[in-house]
Amino acid sequence: MSLETLRIAPGFESYMPKEYVDLVERGPYGRDVKVSELGTFKEVLEEHPMCAGCAMTLFIRVALIGLPCPEHTVILGTAGCGRLALSQASIPFIYGNYGDTNGVASGLKRGLEIRFPNQTKDVVVMAGDGGLSDIGFSCVMHSWFRKEKFTTVMLDNEVYGNTGGQESGMTNKGMVLKMAPFGKKFEKMDMIGLAKTAGVAYIARLAPTNPTRIANVIRKAVLIAREVGPTYVQAYTSCNIEYAIPTPKVMDDARAVEKDRYGFMEIISDEAKAYLERIEQEKKSKAKAVAGT
Amino acid sequence: MYAVAQIDVDICSATSCRLCTQFCPESNTINYDVKRNTAYVAVDRCKGCEICVGICDTLAKHHAIKMVPITEVVEGFEMSKLGFHKF
Repeated sequence: MSLETLRIAPGFESYMPKEYVDLVERGPYGRDVKVSELGTFKEVLEEHPMCAGCAMTLFIRVALIGLPCPEHTVILGTAGCGRLALSQASIPFIYGNYGDTNGVASGLKRGLEIRFPNQTKDVVVMAGDGGLSDIGFSCVMHSWFRKEKFTTVMLDNEVYGNTGGQESGMTNKGMVLKMAPFGKKFEKMDMIGLAKTAGVAYIARLAPTNPTRIANVIRKAVLIAREVGPTYVQAYTSCNIEYAIPTPKVMDDARAVEKDRYGFMEIISDEAKAYLERIEQEKKSKAKAVAGT
Repeated sequence: MYAVAQIDVDICSATSCRLCTQFCPESNTINYDVKRNTAYVAVDRCKGCEICVGICDTLAKHHAIKMVPITEVVEGFEMSKLGFHKF
């Protein structure tokens, strides 16, 4: 997609839905939007059917703000809660079959590079912990080993929330859930460690307690994936239904879990760091040139 | 009947924290009016999760957001009727 396909053909403005006109006129396209500006522009995410007070929704909403170029981004997802919101955003969303998200993303990214040699297209996989660490595990690992240039974002709610509360590979040991009444017998999978082993260029772990940080991490991850290699973001996004967290306490839970075992962590390769510094310098020199004229 | 968030304009306009607009999980539900310098709620989009109340009370310490029953909302802004940012 590009901005040209979004614009309304002349004469059709009054026939388009209000939401669409607002998006074209007051959307975040073609400029850098900050998290602190939220509420003053129309977001790419529309109304969605996710549960009230869902931390995953908060993460997705802010993550979409962090995308450096939403009009040239394609998001892939799979069955799970996240797709309920992702499919309501004005960003092309591909609903992968369970297990093949990163395989589809690999082919898509390569295809887009051939089809649009002069335009960078970002591919982002955004799926749950079950979709990436259990069912899609082999595709995820192989895409990392092949150094495919796209971002993988795990929305880690530590449960299969959409199907009634089965344990996933990312559920903590001993956790009793509705469909795991004896408690989980195995440890939580160390996806960060696996990403490190696979040589992922940028790895981040965070909880949604700081919106600006979410947007910055996603921005960095997508930028690094353009040039350097695969990137991985693992976000704690609690399921307030399956873990029975009252909605006013969702942020307290996120803060407690962040303090306990999900602290902000960033692992960045030297090459990726040099690339980010180069971008920053280019941005500064450009701003200087604009100020000088 | 359910409760939706309502922002006290007098308290909110005295500050410029904007935290509730960033922590709301729903898109364009707590919007920000730059002219009046206050956040406002699109009542037709609010799902009543009360995250904003917690943020305003504990993080920002302004106590400007309260939950009110939808039938008692006075002049609530409805996004579906007016479109985005009509203030």
